[in-house]
Amino acid sequence: MTPETLLWLLPVVPAVTALAMLAVRDRRILSAIDVTGSATLATLALLLARAVATTGPHALGVFRADDLGLVFLLLLATLTLAVSIYTVGWLREAVASGEMQADSLRYYFALVHGFVATMVVTILADNLGVLWIAMEGTTITSAVLVGFHGHRYGLEAAWKYIIVTTIGISFGLFGTVLIYAAASTHVGAGASAMSWAAVMAVAPQLDPGIVQIGFVFAMVGYGTKAGLAPMHLWLPDAHSQAPTPVSALLSGVLIKCALLGIIRFQTIAAAACGVGLPAQVLMVFGLISIVVATPFILAQHDLKRLLGYHSVEHIGIVALALGFGGPIGTYGALLHVINHGITKALVFFAAGTAIARYGTRDMRVIRGMFAVAPIGATLLMLAALSLAGTPPFSIFISELTVLRAGIGPGHWLAVAIFLTMVVVIFAGILHHVGAMTFGRPSTVASRAPEAWSPLLAMALLAAIMILLGLTIPPTFDTLLRRATEVVLG
Amino acid sequence: MAFLVLLGPLVTGAIQKLKARLQSRTGASVLQPYRDLTKLLRKGTVEADTASGLFRMIPVLVLAATVAATALVPVVRAGSPTFPLGDALLLLGLLALARFLMAVGALDAGGAFGGMGASREMTIAPLVEPVLMMVVFSAALAAGTTELGTLAAHRGSSWLFAWDAADFLGFAAMIVLLPAETGRIPVDNPDTHLELTMLHEGMLLEHSGPGLACMVLASHTRQIVTLGLVSSLFFPVGLAVGAGATALLFGVTAFVVKVALLATYLALVESSYAKLRLFRVPQYLGVGFVCALTALALRIL
Amino acid sequence: MSPSTTAAIINDLGALLLFTMLLILAAGQVYRAIYAVAAQSLFIAIAGAVLALATHNADLWLIAAITLVVKAMVLPWVLHRVLQRLNVRREVEPVVPIAVTLVLAVAVVVMAFHLSGSLGAVQQAITGNALPVGIAITLLGVLVMATRKKALTQMVGLFASENGIFFVAIAATQGMPLIIEIGVILDVILAALVMAILVLRVRSTVAADVADLSRLRG
Repeated sequence: MTPETLLWLLPVVPAVTALAMLAVRDRRILSAIDVTGSATLATLALLLARAVATTGPHALGVFRADDLGLVFLLLLATLTLAVSIYTVGWLREAVASGEMQADSLRYYFALVHGFVATMVVTILADNLGVLWIAMEGTTITSAVLVGFHGHRYGLEAAWKYIIVTTIGISFGLFGTVLIYAAASTHVGAGASAMSWAAVMAVAPQLDPGIVQIGFVFAMVGYGTKAGLAPMHLWLPDAHSQAPTPVSALLSGVLIKCALLGIIRFQTIAAAACGVGLPAQVLMVFGLISIVVATPFILAQHDLKRLLGYHSVEHIGIVALALGFGGPIGTYGALLHVINHGITKALVFFAAGTAIARYGTRDMRVIRGMFAVAPIGATLLMLAALSLAGTPPFSIFISELTVLRAGIGPGHWLAVAIFLTMVVVIFAGILHHVGAMTFGRPSTVASRAPEAWSPLLAMALLAAIMILLGLTIPPTFDTLLRRATEVVLG
Repeated sequence: MAFLVLLGPLVTGAIQKLKARLQSRTGASVLQPYRDLTKLLRKGTVEADTASGLFRMIPVLVLAATVAATALVPVVRAGSPTFPLGDALLLLGLLALARFLMAVGALDAGGAFGGMGASREMTIAPLVEPVLMMVVFSAALAAGTTELGTLAAHRGSSWLFAWDAADFLGFAAMIVLLPAETGRIPVDNPDTHLELTMLHEGMLLEHSGPGLACMVLASHTRQIVTLGLVSSLFFPVGLAVGAGATALLFGVTAFVVKVALLATYLALVESSYAKLRLFRVPQYLGVGFVCALTALALRIL
Repeated sequence: MSPSTTAAIINDLGALLLFTMLLILAAGQVYRAIYAVAAQSLFIAIAGAVLALATHNADLWLIAAITLVVKAMVLPWVLHRVLQRLNVRREVEPVVPIAVTLVLAVAVVVMAFHLSGSLGAVQQAITGNALPVGIAITLLGVLVMATRKKALTQMVGLFASENGIFFVAIAATQGMPLIIEIGVILDVILAALVMAILVLRVRSTVAADVADLSRLRG
């Protein structure tokens, strides 16, 4: 297959999978289609990655695959596959416990794949308008998924999610329109003036004033979707109320897609009016996110909300790293995107099994998991250690890179705040997870044997997590380096 | 000047008639306000025991202030007046003075309703008058003068397309404000003496005979002055520049048409809205306030 | 039409848009806010038509027509239907007194005009005062959403906010590329439908306004 074919096939595959699922009612067939669709997507993504690695970026209409997009595409494909595998076992239990209605499963699956399709488009979009449309599309599909349980909390979270992100993302549209207005005087009106590649080509000639305003608007817009504080209000609610596989996708991929949007605008702004302003804006948002998330992590009792606030912290770290800039900062940011995505999905999976086992999200009730589910507890412990930034896991490596990027240019204050918060959160996370895994199991715990498919999905992610902690494979390193070059122009 | 004073009651009569027709009543003749005035002039005066000498002078002063204001409104001619009388500031000042005197008179009489009407009127006035001022200022900033005749001439025959955002917002503010300034629904109800609803009428309760006639005539005049102000600020079409007879005649016709249109608007508003609760009035006037403030801000920026 | 006439008409429409936005902010009852936002969309459609006439751009005609049908007719109709189905108290229920929001609104408008006054070169790309008006309306829409409790009023604020963006997009040289504009409109419709469904589902499951739910905290 030519890379151009791959470019249009990639969004089509999940869309077709979604449509196909609407015709099926049986849970097992649905799960089979689910895994097949995700595996196909992962294969196509790998093929595209190889094509781009050998022959450089490819473009087709409003789509374009460059190394930067590939970093996110690979993350999306991996996590989608893991989520599909996890869903097989999770769904069996969820249906048995009445958490999911057996007759609405096809809508659930169709929405998940629709959600994945919109995310693929955001990643592959070269046209900033298409990027926005797909971003709003992710909101619409995932809002329904967040409220899928249909109880008042789910609906409340869904409402907050759709209102906050829609209003936020409309700022993103405003930013897009402003950049378009600036670019159309140089490129000429029409769809090409919204193409990121075309805008980048003329970026140094753009009017700096309008690009600055456009960037700030886009930053607020996509920042809302990425969960940067103080626009993060929807995130803990949505992450905690969504079905677990959806939480993993939201936290692992969606907020990273929004981040990709920010990076696209950042590169334009940096080329048009210098790196100063975008870097400062990113650093400020990043630090606010890290600081705001900390107290909520420490005082949290709801396991999934804890993870939600933790996502706010980590997206803040990525924004901070992008703000530090330079080759090291950008490399660290992209590496952290991958590491956090993989690890966070793993933690959500482990948390999901724990929640199913104990029938609650309250961490004061989840106790002694080692005794009832040893493998799941080990994976939860490993993931939490990684999430907290312990060596030799992957997040330690990327956080260290970010630190190096900050110390180099001498951002002492930012580095100090970052370090303090990371240490505090480290203690907070280990305290929470230690209490959940060790000790005497609480009486509500089910002692049923652990299902294989969630374990398989978790093992897959844990393997990647440990591998990336020990070494960064050369091909992957090359990809990240090239992506860094794309960001730095 | 005399022309405006004479025309004032007719406008009130016309609004009443139109309102009546809209409510499927026949309604009194448009000349009814004149009849009321002549009737009042023939009657004797009864005064409250508590009233001081000031009370007797109030109606005359109010009428004097209002009538003086009429001299400042360019009715048929645009451009600088032959001798400088005063400008928009003086006009607004005279109207405010009349309002103030009226409230003082109502308080002086010592009646409960008078005091209540006065206090209500004084609650509304601080919302209405700044808005009027701001609208006039925003127009004045464009023309570089506060003299109304010159202001109208500056705008000349320009029509809607020459309006900019500030003009639209200023006009919107005036549209919101007109019922308040002329004492009509939804801010005030001119037809009733029900203690719960009245503002303006409450202040007139203690007056009688020729005094009341003066007060009523002052209200009529005030109304036409406000309408004249709006039409000269925003629709200066037809204002005569020269002194020729045809030009003047055309000016008069244009003025009558413009005032008739605004009066129709007032009648329509009165017929289609209910009176607002007093607490809600500030919110209603707030829209006008915001529009006017924005208009002014846009001019300054 | 000469460019100056076009700019003048766009300026006038911009003022009308600001006025309707203020009406939305001052509306005491939900249905008034809905009518005001419908009127606002109508003005935007007119702006599109005027620019289409001026630039002889066929795409803009289509955009104006879509705006007219979708934003000025369908969306208000959906809101109105939801309002009828809810059958609840129709007052807006502000969190902050309306008078205070109006004062904030003035500050926002002044700030928007001041901000775009500082951008010299940009004005060429965008007709008339569309940029400050657009920024002001977008921010005021957010203000409506932040200061009103009712779900429907929040939706009105959202649509008003998007109207501000559309106005800038239409006034920017030739309007956004048609395909993008259609995609955006499609998103808006879908989002509105999902929101309407959410509002109705919450009403039927817990008999409350969705925007009043506030159990999820901390």
